[in-house]
Amino acid sequence: MVEAFAVASGKGGTGKTTSTLALGMALADEHDVTVVDADTGMANLLFHAGLDDAAVTLHDLLVEGTATDVSAATYDRFGLSVVPCGTSLAGFEAAEPGRLRDVVAELASDTDVLLLDSPAALGSKSAVLPVVLADRVVVVVEPTIPALSDGLKVQEYARSYGTETAGVLFNKVRDDAADVAEQAERHFGGPVLASVPDSDVVREARRAGEPLLAHAPESDAAARYRRAAARLDVRDGDGDAVADRFRSAVVPDTP
Amino acid sequence: MTGAADGEAESGAESDAPELRIPRGTLLRSRVVSDVATTLSRALDRGLTGYATLVPQETLLLEGDARGVLTFADGVPVLAYNTVSDRGGPDALAELAVPGPYRVELYAVDDDGLAAAHETDALRVAPGAAATELADDPALADRTREAAPDERLADPEADDADAVAAFLADDDRIEAIREQARAEAAERADEWGLDEALADDGGGDADRRPGR
Repeated sequence: MVEAFAVASGKGGTGKTTSTLALGMALADEHDVTVVDADTGMANLLFHAGLDDAAVTLHDLLVEGTATDVSAATYDRFGLSVVPCGTSLAGFEAAEPGRLRDVVAELASDTDVLLLDSPAALGSKSAVLPVVLADRVVVVVEPTIPALSDGLKVQEYARSYGTETAGVLFNKVRDDAADVAEQAERHFGGPVLASVPDSDVVREARRAGEPLLAHAPESDAAARYRRAAARLDVRDGDGDAVADRFRSAVVPDTP
Repeated sequence: MTGAADGEAESGAESDAPELRIPRGTLLRSRVVSDVATTLSRALDRGLTGYATLVPQETLLLEGDARGVLTFADGVPVLAYNTVSDRGGPDALAELAVPGPYRVELYAVDDDGLAAAHETDALRVAPGAAATELADDPALADRTREAAPDERLADPEADDADAVAAFLADDDRIEAIREQARAEAAERADEWGLDEALADDGGGDADRRPGR
């Protein structure tokens, strides 16, 4: 059983990484969950997961000619399998985005749910690849016009590649924006999974290098992420078939 | 903006439409900016009483151009108006909230020159709304709210989310964003050699995906 979700937004600062780890931890109560930092140019999942000093990362797996085992870059943290990405420019430049397909295929054969923390951009092949490879996309937006515009754009890119919307997650919601989520739902191809309030506890978790659900499991924000995860309605799938699909996905090896 | 060049910005041909009449004032700057935050931040830092005219250079696929007027009292945005659609307040902000660049002119007006115009409730926007929706700059929005007088922050007629609600109610605008994104996705897929990964119908049919 496996389903791969791209957690995407189209713009930075919406809280994708916080959301990826929070959804992952919430889903881990029932599923084997693997979280991958697919934002190979602006990686930050390692900071959120206390993996700042990870010796082997996704970057190492994406370099041609290296025989690095995927398991060497997979870390057990907070009940999840976490594949962080390095932050060096050299690592990014050496990485070949097309190889992400093979890494994802290998991970898919051995997990229930794959969450791909996706780049906050759509301007390059490596940036759209997670959305191309995923089964469905979780769109993370703030309740602002720029964020909603970019969220709609990500949704259309994903649809162009046959990737439907699993749901929309409203993040950093202030009191006066509560009704906006309801109004936005009809424009997205999936339900509003949750409206997560703008709160200090999220910033504190980030500073502590811990996912929100580990740092403040009793917080309102954590409760809303759990509700969002419950609404995701993970689909049963044949892990081997998904792995095969990733392997055979038409992704050229050179940019 | 027809009026500014003649000495005042005016609008409201329909009898019940709100009207914006402001003195021309003194031109401080005329620029093309990639980010409206530059303009808003400048107005805030110098505590400007005056206005900015904003002409987005990209108008998406919508008919007609948006040409906006945003007024300031002591650096904090007060009124928004689109001289093309004759809409004001949050509706105008929503129409002006498109990706940059913008052509911007910034004018200073004598302290009492805008007092009458600023009484027009229907054109008013929340203090931080321009920074959030036009400039996508939450820190600048916070700074603007801090500088705003208490009565502006408590104004029940000006909610930060109003412009977002206006945007979400504009189905034509949203369809234009989606159409443009679909066209861009197809064009770039071709450029990146991903065109064979595209769903045949441009979306919706997961079974079309390669390998399935």
